[in-house]
Amino acid sequence: MQKVIETLLIGLTTGSIYALMSLAIVLVWRSTRVINFAQAGQAMFATYIGFEISSRSEVFWLGLLFAVVGGALLGAGVDYFFMRVLFKHANSGPAAVVAPVIATLGLLGLIRSIVGLSWGGEFKTIKSPVSTDGYTLGSTTIPFSALNAVIIITVSIILIALAILFQRTNLGLALRASAYAPEIAKLAGIRTAQTRTIGWAIAGGVGGVAGMLVTANNFLSPYSLDLLLVFGFIAAVIGGLESMVGAVIGALVLGIGLTIILNYVGTSLIFIGGFVVLIVVLLVKPDGIMAKGKGRRA
Amino acid sequence: MELWRKARVAVRKKIAFFILLGWVLLIIGDRVDELRVYQGAQIAMYTIALASIVLLTGYSGQVSLGNGAMMAVGGYSAALTLNNLQTPIWFAFLMAILVSALFGSLLGAAAARLAGPYLAGTTLALAVGLPAIANQFSFLGGEPGLLFDVGFPPESFGEEFTQYKWFFWIAGVIALIALFITSNILQSRFGRTWRAIRGNSLAAELAGIHSARMKVLAFTISSALAGLAGAVLAMNISLVAPGAYSLALSFSLVTGAVLAGVSSLPGVVLGGFILVGIPEIADALAGSLGGADKFNNYLPGLITSVLLILSVIYTPNGPGENIRKHLGKKHA
Amino acid sequence: MIGKTRRKRTWFVAAVLATGSLLATALPANAETGVTSSEIKLGITLPLTGAASAGYNKIGNAMNAYFKYVNDNGGVYGRKINLIQKNDEYSPQLAIAKTNELILKDKVFALVGPLGTATYTAVHKSVGIARRGVPSLFLNTGFSGFANKKNFPTSFTVLPSYAMEAKIVSQFIKENLAGKKLGLVYQNDEFGIDALGAFKAAGVKFDVTIPYTSGTQSPATAQTWVSQLAAGGAQVVVFFGVTSATGALLGVAAAAKYAPQWILGSVGSDPLTLRVLGVPTAVLNGAYTLAGNPSPNDTTDEYVKQFQEINTKYNAGTAFDDYVLQGMNLGLMTVQALRAAGQNLTRKKLISAMETKGSTFASVAYSPLGYSKTSNVGHTGYYMAVMDATGDRKPFGGSVVLYTTDSGSGPVVKSTFKRPAMPAKGLPTNS
Repeated sequence: MQKVIETLLIGLTTGSIYALMSLAIVLVWRSTRVINFAQAGQAMFATYIGFEISSRSEVFWLGLLFAVVGGALLGAGVDYFFMRVLFKHANSGPAAVVAPVIATLGLLGLIRSIVGLSWGGEFKTIKSPVSTDGYTLGSTTIPFSALNAVIIITVSIILIALAILFQRTNLGLALRASAYAPEIAKLAGIRTAQTRTIGWAIAGGVGGVAGMLVTANNFLSPYSLDLLLVFGFIAAVIGGLESMVGAVIGALVLGIGLTIILNYVGTSLIFIGGFVVLIVVLLVKPDGIMAKGKGRRA
Repeated sequence: MELWRKARVAVRKKIAFFILLGWVLLIIGDRVDELRVYQGAQIAMYTIALASIVLLTGYSGQVSLGNGAMMAVGGYSAALTLNNLQTPIWFAFLMAILVSALFGSLLGAAAARLAGPYLAGTTLALAVGLPAIANQFSFLGGEPGLLFDVGFPPESFGEEFTQYKWFFWIAGVIALIALFITSNILQSRFGRTWRAIRGNSLAAELAGIHSARMKVLAFTISSALAGLAGAVLAMNISLVAPGAYSLALSFSLVTGAVLAGVSSLPGVVLGGFILVGIPEIADALAGSLGGADKFNNYLPGLITSVLLILSVIYTPNGPGENIRKHLGKKHA
Repeated sequence: MIGKTRRKRTWFVAAVLATGSLLATALPANAETGVTSSEIKLGITLPLTGAASAGYNKIGNAMNAYFKYVNDNGGVYGRKINLIQKNDEYSPQLAIAKTNELILKDKVFALVGPLGTATYTAVHKSVGIARRGVPSLFLNTGFSGFANKKNFPTSFTVLPSYAMEAKIVSQFIKENLAGKKLGLVYQNDEFGIDALGAFKAAGVKFDVTIPYTSGTQSPATAQTWVSQLAAGGAQVVVFFGVTSATGALLGVAAAAKYAPQWILGSVGSDPLTLRVLGVPTAVLNGAYTLAGNPSPNDTTDEYVKQFQEINTKYNAGTAFDDYVLQGMNLGLMTVQALRAAGQNLTRKKLISAMETKGSTFASVAYSPLGYSKTSNVGHTGYYMAVMDATGDRKPFGGSVVLYTTDSGSGPVVKSTFKRPAMPAKGLPTNS
C-alpha cells in the first residue's frame, strides 16, 4: 500500500515537471506549427542562468526568477531571429516537412555547444530551496519531500495563471486566435507575428521554471535536460498537441506511468516504457487523448 | 517493348557503373593509410544508414527520428547470431536485415495512422527507449555491450592486409550492393508511389494507391537498410553497445540526410563524408585553438549545429537543388 | 531523362570526391611510432565530461603537470613528453573511436592510464592493442580480467583489482563487523561483478544486493537504492561504483536519514569530489574506505609533499585530491618506465623494461608492484581508512595496516613491505 502511495506521489511530481515542458511544446506548436526540439535546450540555458544567480545569491527563488526572464527572452529571440528566417526560406520541396524539425534539432545542438563552451561539462548542483528529506509518518519515511510538494504547488500555480491568461485576458484571446486562425486574427487587427513571439516567450519562461525545478537537488550539465526533452515531447503527443489541458493530462499520465515502471519493473526499462505508453495511446487515439474526433488540422 | 529494352540497357549501365565504383574503391584502399581505410569503412556504413532515411523520409515523406534504434536491432541481431550460433559472417548480416525488416514492418503498422509530429514523437521515443533495453537483459550485454568479431582477413592476403582494410572491403561491397538495390527500388514504381503519397496522401488514395500498405513497406525496407548499417557499424568497432546507437546517432543521421539532400540517393555518399568529416575538422580546429578540453568536447557539436542550421535555411533540399536552380537560371 | 543524367553525374561527382580526398591523405609508414629525437607522444582516454567524469577528469591534467615538470628538467634523455588526452565520456564506443585516433592519427608511442573497465575491454579488442604491440601502461581500472598476461600481453595494470579489494573488505568485515546485516550496491558490469564474484568466493553473504546500470546513477535512482537498503535493514553497506554514484547515494541517504556503516570502494571515494557533488561532510564522517595511497592532505609524506609542490606550480587552480595524487604518481611511474627502456626507445623495449624492472619503481602507494615476465599486475594491496569530520582520511586503527593478496584464491596477508624512497626532487634517475 505504501509503495502505491509513494509511486503515485512521485509520479505526480515528475508528471508536473513534464507538464511544464509539454505545455511549452504545445504552446509553440499551436502558435507556429513547429515542434520545437530546442525547447529543452532553451530551458537548459535558462537553468544555467538560474544556476549562476542562485549560487551567487544563495537564494533559489531569485535564480528561478532570472531563469524565467532569461528563458522568456531567449524564446522571444529564437522566434524573432530564427524562426522567421527559417519560414522565409525553407518552405518548398520534400524538406518542407522535415525542415523545421531539423532546424530546431540544430538549434538544440547549438545551444548545448554554447553552454558547454561557456560553462564546461562538469556537473553543477543547484541547492534546493526546501528540505529534500522524505516526510516521516510514524516509523516510515516516504520519499516525498518538501521539495516535491513545492514542485507540485509551483506547477499548479503556473497552470492556473496560464489558464487565466488564455481564457480571461485579451492577450490570451489574441494568442489563441493567432494560433487557430491567423488570417482572421490579422483581419481583426491582431499583430500575429508579435503575438507569436509573445507565445514563444511564455513557452521559454515556462521551460525555465521546469529546468530549475528538475535540477534542484540534481546534477546540472549540458545533457541533464535531455530526459525532459524526450518525456516532455512524449507527454505533449499523448495529450494531443492541440490543447493545453491535454498537455497537462498527458504529462501526468506519463509521469505516473513511468514511475510505476521504475518502481515495479526495472530502471532500464523506463525509456521503452515511455514508448509503450505513447504507442498504446496513439493506437487508440492517433491524435492524442484530448483530440476531438477525426480531421487532423495539418 | 521499347521500354523493356531500354530498361535493361539502363540497368546494365548502372551495374557497370557500380562495378567501376567498386574497382576505384579497391585501388584507393590499397593506397591510403589505415586511418583512412577505417574512415572509409565508416563512410560506407553511413551511406547505407542515410539511404534508409532517404527512402523513408525523402521518398515516402515519413519523418522518423528512430533510425538509430533500427540500426541497434540490426547490430544486436548480427552479434547475437554470430556469437551464439557461430554462423558465417554473411549469415549474421542477413539476420540483421531480416530481423530489422520484421521490426520495421511492426513499427510501420503501428505508425501508419500517424503523421507529422506524432510520428516523429513515436520514433523519438523508440530511439531513446530501444537501446536501453540492452541494460535490462544480461544476454544483451548491458551497458558495456557485446563483442562482435568478424575475424581476420584470410591468410592468403598477406601480413600487410590489416583488419581495418578487411572491414573496408566488406563494408564497401555491402554498401555498393545495398545502394544498387535501393536505387532500383527508388526508380521503380514503388519509388513513384511513395512520392505520390508524400505529395498528397488523399489524392494518392483516390488514384487507387493503398497508402497504409505502401507506408508500411517503406518502413520495412528502410528498417532493413538501417539494420544492415547497424551490423556494419558493429563490425567496424567490433562492438554492439547501447551507447553506439544513441539518440545522438539518430539525430546525426537526420542531419547528414538533410545536409546532403533528403530525397537524393547519390547524396548519401556526400552525407557519409560529411558525417565522418565533421569530427575531423572540429578536431583540427580545436587543436589549433589550443586544445582546451572545452573545445575538444563541444566544438564538433557547434560546427555540426551551425552547418545544419545554415543548410536547412539555405539548402533545405540539399546542395543538389541549389545547383539545379543555378543551372536553371543560366538556361533561362 | 534529364533526371537520370543528373543522377549519374551526382554519382560520378561522389566517386571523384571519394578518390580525391582519400588519396590526398595517403601517408608513408613510420620509424618507431610516436618517438622522435625531441619528443615522446603518449595518449590517454578518460571521461572528461559526462556522468562518470566527476573527479576522474583531473587525472589527465595532473599527469600532464608532472610531465611538464620533467620536461622542464631535461625530459627523458632529452626528449619531451607530449601527453594527448581524449575524452571518451566513459562510453565504450567513444573510447574505441578516440583510441583509433590516438593510434592511427596522432600515432602515439604508447597509451598511459586509459580509464574504465568496459571502455578498455572494448578498446583492446576493437583497436587490436595487443596485435599492434602498443604498450598500454598503468590502466586506470581494477578489473581483474586485465591481469591476464596471455590475453593482455602489452597491457599493465597499476591499481589492485576489484577482486583483491573485495577480498580485503571481506577480511575486514569478518574481523570487525561480524554478525551485522550487509548490503551491497554495485555497478552492474565487469567492474562491479568482479567484486561480487570475489565476495562470493570469500563467503560473504549480503542481505540486500542492488546492481545498477552504469550511467543511470542520479539522486532519483539512488532514492530507489536507499528504499531497498532501508527496507532490508542493512547495517553495513558496501558500495562499488564511480564517484558520481557514490555522491548520489550518500546524498540521498543523508536526506532520508538512513545512516548505515558505509564501506566505499576505492575508486569512488575521494572526499573532496564528494563534497563538490553535494554530500555533507557529516555523512562522510566515519565512512570506511580502502585506500592504497596516503591521504592527499598528508604533507608529512614525501611523495605527497613533492607532488603538491608540482601541482601548485604546473597545475594551478586545481585542488590537490586523490585524483591529482593518482595522476601525478602515474606520471612518475611512466617516466621511470621510459627511462628504464633506454635511450634507443622502442615499444618492445618499453614492454620488456616494465617486465624486468617495473617491480622496483618508486610509487606513492604502500603495496609492492607485481610486474614480471609472467605478471602484468601492478599494486597488490590496500589498507582500511576512515573518513573524518573534515573529510580527510586517516588509517583505521591509527596506523597503516597493509593487506596484500591476489585476484585468485590466495590468502589475504598483512604485509610489512616498505616503499622505495621518492627520487630526489621527484625526478627519477633510474635506467
